[in-house]
Amino acid sequence: MKKTLIAAGIAALMTTTAMAEGIGVSMAKFDDNFLTVLRNGIQAQADAAGLSVQIEDAQDDVAKQLDQINNFIASGVDAIIVNPVDTSATQAMSDAAAAANVPLVYVNRQPVNVDTLPDNQAFVASNESESSRQGFIEQCNQWAAAGKTDVAVYVMQGQLSNQAAVQRTQNYYDVIEAGECKVKVNVIDQQTANWSRDEAQSLMTNWLSTGAAFDGVLANNDEMALGAIQAMKAAGIDMASVIVSGVDATQDALASMQAGELDITVFQNAAAQGGGALDAAVKLAAGEAVDQKVYVPFELVTPANIADYLAKN
Amino acid sequence: MANTSHGIGGLTFDPKKRTRPPELNVLAALVLIIVAFEVLGRLFIGDSFLFNTRDNVDTLFNEQRLQIIILQVAIVGIIALGVTQVIITGGIDLSSGSIVGVTAMVTMSFAQVATVNGNPNPKAIFGPEWMDLPVIVPLVVGLACGLFAGLVNGLLIAYTKIPPFIATLGMMVAARGAAKWWSKGNPISFPTESYATIGKGMTPVVIFIVLAVLFHLIMTQTKYGKHCYAIGSNEPAARMSGINVDGHKVLVYTIAGALAALAAVVLSSKNLTAQAGMGVMYELDAIAMAVIGGVSLQGGRGSIIGTCLGALIFGVIISGFTFLKLDAYYQEMVKGVIIVGAVVLDQWRQTKRGRG
Repeated sequence: MKKTLIAAGIAALMTTTAMAEGIGVSMAKFDDNFLTVLRNGIQAQADAAGLSVQIEDAQDDVAKQLDQINNFIASGVDAIIVNPVDTSATQAMSDAAAAANVPLVYVNRQPVNVDTLPDNQAFVASNESESSRQGFIEQCNQWAAAGKTDVAVYVMQGQLSNQAAVQRTQNYYDVIEAGECKVKVNVIDQQTANWSRDEAQSLMTNWLSTGAAFDGVLANNDEMALGAIQAMKAAGIDMASVIVSGVDATQDALASMQAGELDITVFQNAAAQGGGALDAAVKLAAGEAVDQKVYVPFELVTPANIADYLAKN
Repeated sequence: MANTSHGIGGLTFDPKKRTRPPELNVLAALVLIIVAFEVLGRLFIGDSFLFNTRDNVDTLFNEQRLQIIILQVAIVGIIALGVTQVIITGGIDLSSGSIVGVTAMVTMSFAQVATVNGNPNPKAIFGPEWMDLPVIVPLVVGLACGLFAGLVNGLLIAYTKIPPFIATLGMMVAARGAAKWWSKGNPISFPTESYATIGKGMTPVVIFIVLAVLFHLIMTQTKYGKHCYAIGSNEPAARMSGINVDGHKVLVYTIAGALAALAAVVLSSKNLTAQAGMGVMYELDAIAMAVIGGVSLQGGRGSIIGTCLGALIFGVIISGFTFLKLDAYYQEMVKGVIIVGAVVLDQWRQTKRGRG
């Protein structure tokens, strides 16, 4: 009887301390526009639910991220949310969390072991194969509407080591091959600008210096699209004569769209992903079942519906 | 003091006896690389790297390409000017990239407009009373940031005697943290019209060239410059000959910090945004430019002209590879080879001179 009481007391003590620890979050990096919105989404959802979250910055370092997860486990958090630095390095994280029986939710970037996740682990993101696809198809439609049948384009890739950059670029070619583009697309050149506006400016100016005629730019993200636009404006190119598409629908991109420069972007609902990840983590911590793959849809943004998105990111 | 009697260790300096300046080798390398791209371009893609092959404009050279070659290295070039001075005194500055990050964030916060396309600025950091400020405000704030960071570097190195590598490594980590903390990682955008002109068009290049000429004169014509070389060549000797070594070091690192801040102002203005990740790896690019330009990491040797040539080599390579439509992978690999190659060549030249 005494033993049971003590055991019950300890169990109660442990659960209360564990509850007080809240949820640990390890973000790939803090200084990223999109991931910051996502991070704020997690925070906002946690504040609304009265939960405490501890958010760590893995600074794009795989090893640091695994250490953070192990530290979370050691300090007895109820659940962990991971925005993986490297999507191919997630097995060790899943194993560590599974060994300690702590629920784990991956957010935004699809882990390599997504199909073999243990029951108390989940993945919340948008489906990357939908991302640039929507924007590009819209771009094709706009070219067709302008009476073009043959277009020449430049492709700006994100960081080559990043899955999203590879996928977003692949989407363009998939659309072309599947015949979903209404015009014939000829890619003049494809280069990386590492997601960066500054590098994109330089790259675009280098392209402009070749003097080749082109009808549009396909950028893997908005920052690079904006860099390309700034370079084209500096070179005196009429922004009505080219169609530029990006991905993310950042505030800067929307302002550029309002100014009639950026034509197309795709909204990836970062805040919804963050909020969704927190919801999944809370449910898993409470022992409820959740869908192991939660997809937050991408949304096409053009000047026609821009008003809906001005306050979202 | 006459120029001819001013030399290190009491040796008489005779300009006629000087060996071929190392800058000539760098210049030769630059020309060689340009010729290589020109030949490869004509052979493989049937276009000229340097010359204009278009019908619609009537110029001898491809002016747009010449512009971008220098424009894309102008900002890191500004940092490299400060880094050159630091390395000549025998030190190193790893913090410049992070100083760019934090300065860009702070500066842009004071350069925002109140309304964007008729809406309130969605990235506002401060209230409306701190918006639409005259351009001098962000400039002064930015420079103060860089001066402060540089001053801390200098004081640490001069008075706690910790190695420059450690002191500036600490600043590199701390300043990057400050850059992220400033707006909790959120980018800061939408600067005023007047702030945007600082980095518009070729202005970064003009700023770079003006600063390069200024610091070339300072390094070659003033006591400040001579003391830099003296400290880098032989610090105990410089100390014994009455140079205020500690004070000089503080000055050098402070100037380097200010130049990094200036680069941040130009960078954020050119991109119309400031992000906490700005300037990552810039310190290494700046050091590489200096080293390729013949600045010795042992201190005491090198010049602003050399660094400028090193920067141009960087620019030519970036543009050349895009021109040849080669992937970024190769670009980075070749950059690495050139950095190491430049130092190896420099070492050979050193030992040859030592023996002769």
